[in-house]
Amino acid sequence: MITVRDVRKTFPARNGNAATLALQDVNLAIGTDEFVSIVGPSGCGKTTLLRMIAGLALPDAGVLEIDGLPVTGPGPDRAVVFQQFALLPWATVADNIAFGLELRGMARAERLAAADGLIHAMGLRGFERHYPRQLSGGMQQRVGLARALAVNPAILLMDEPFASVDAQTRRTLQDDLLKLAERSRKTIVFVTHDIDEAVRLADRVMLMSPRPGRIVESLTVPLPRPRPDDLDLAPEAIRLKAYLWQQLRGMQQAPPPASLP
Amino acid sequence: MTGRPRTAGPGLLLQDARAGWLSLPVGVAVWEIAGRVSGFAFLPPFSAAAAAVWRMTWSGELPLNMAASLTALAIGYASAVGVGIPLGVVMGRFRRVDAVLDVYVTILLATPKLLFVPVLFGMFGTSRLTQVIFIFLSAAVIITVNARSGVRGVDAGCVEMARAFGATERQVLTRVLLPGALPLVMAGLRMGMGRGVRAMVMGDMLIAVVGMGALLRKYGGRFDAASVFGLLLVIVGVALACTWMIRSMERRMTRWTEGA
Repeated sequence: MITVRDVRKTFPARNGNAATLALQDVNLAIGTDEFVSIVGPSGCGKTTLLRMIAGLALPDAGVLEIDGLPVTGPGPDRAVVFQQFALLPWATVADNIAFGLELRGMARAERLAAADGLIHAMGLRGFERHYPRQLSGGMQQRVGLARALAVNPAILLMDEPFASVDAQTRRTLQDDLLKLAERSRKTIVFVTHDIDEAVRLADRVMLMSPRPGRIVESLTVPLPRPRPDDLDLAPEAIRLKAYLWQQLRGMQQAPPPASLP
Repeated sequence: MTGRPRTAGPGLLLQDARAGWLSLPVGVAVWEIAGRVSGFAFLPPFSAAAAAVWRMTWSGELPLNMAASLTALAIGYASAVGVGIPLGVVMGRFRRVDAVLDVYVTILLATPKLLFVPVLFGMFGTSRLTQVIFIFLSAAVIITVNARSGVRGVDAGCVEMARAFGATERQVLTRVLLPGALPLVMAGLRMGMGRGVRAMVMGDMLIAVVGMGALLRKYGGRFDAASVFGLLLVIVGVALACTWMIRSMERRMTRWTEGA
């Protein structure tokens, strides 16, 4: 259970730029084993919110708790999948997947054995000894996902994980993630700017406002699990996506906040 | 999907290396012929220089002086590595340290280290220490600068990733920053070695009473061109061997950067 109450985050003034209020009055609750997508216009602070849940940044005000305990930093209950993959270029695929286990002090033979199952599950067999630069973007993100799964987190935090790969690969990765989410019990928070993706994957879609970002709406996706193949044609999906588009467009056209005299 | 074809890279390297090895005997042959044909006293043929090396080796003169020079190089270079890498890493990691020290590093980087010789001479006289410090100064700056760039160049995303997976500050350093900085650190070590060898020879010639430079001075004073050229051969050989040693280490340790 992830609880966020009245959270505010400001980025201090820097290099002559004024301080920015990134998030204000953010409230949300994400249940255990729930799959939630967070969508919003670019620059609304979705990534900042995810980084705070990951413990990589702390809120300036408000409450951020996981299972009733305040988040004070990264923890073994959470793992992050990054938009730019963030693989170690000098480590092989197997060593990258085992990196989280390495940080926890697991012996090399043991952690590589643990990584082996994920290499198979992620379709990376035969690439164990490759370096990241030798892989396509899609395969690099499979490594990123495998690395997150290797530490067996209760909460998987995904920051626009499929935004840097081509459309076809994105689709395959989404299908893999769906299978994974339906098979294993995990809480997944998935940040994206892609409405199709958000609806396809999540149990619930949370919509964020432009900066200062806050959650303006939370919509349950009225689609069965496992998600059908022709999901994009389901009238409920089409209706929900159309609604979300409309909301997002409305935000972009909203007049800029009046400046003080 | 699979690794890019690698034949082009190494194949080219192999050919380059072969061309390199071929150009050397050609140069020696040209030297030999030029020396014999010209009959100019200051251009002895290669064979005469080689014979001089042979003679100096067996008289014990060369091994003794070479040992003196190489000891100075070893001590000076080892201290440069021992100071340069940690200093560079700290400067690359902590902005504030960098802000304080950057100006000094820049000054040292821009100044010919030869300028310091008179100062060192005044402080330590003709002792071996003067030469060692000169070698240290010459090698340390470039090693520091490279280590700093190496650490700075590590992808911030990788550092954040490590943090997200629970890395301690120490683990960030040992598992992310140091391995990421390694290619530039190794390049710094290689350049530092080149500068160290140069400083060794200069120090020998300007300061030391023993060593390769002292030998050079001795035979130069006697107008013994064959021995002078022989010594040059040996010094060039030492420089090449030292650089080659580091380069092969570098290749082995940074294989992941190949095939870019």
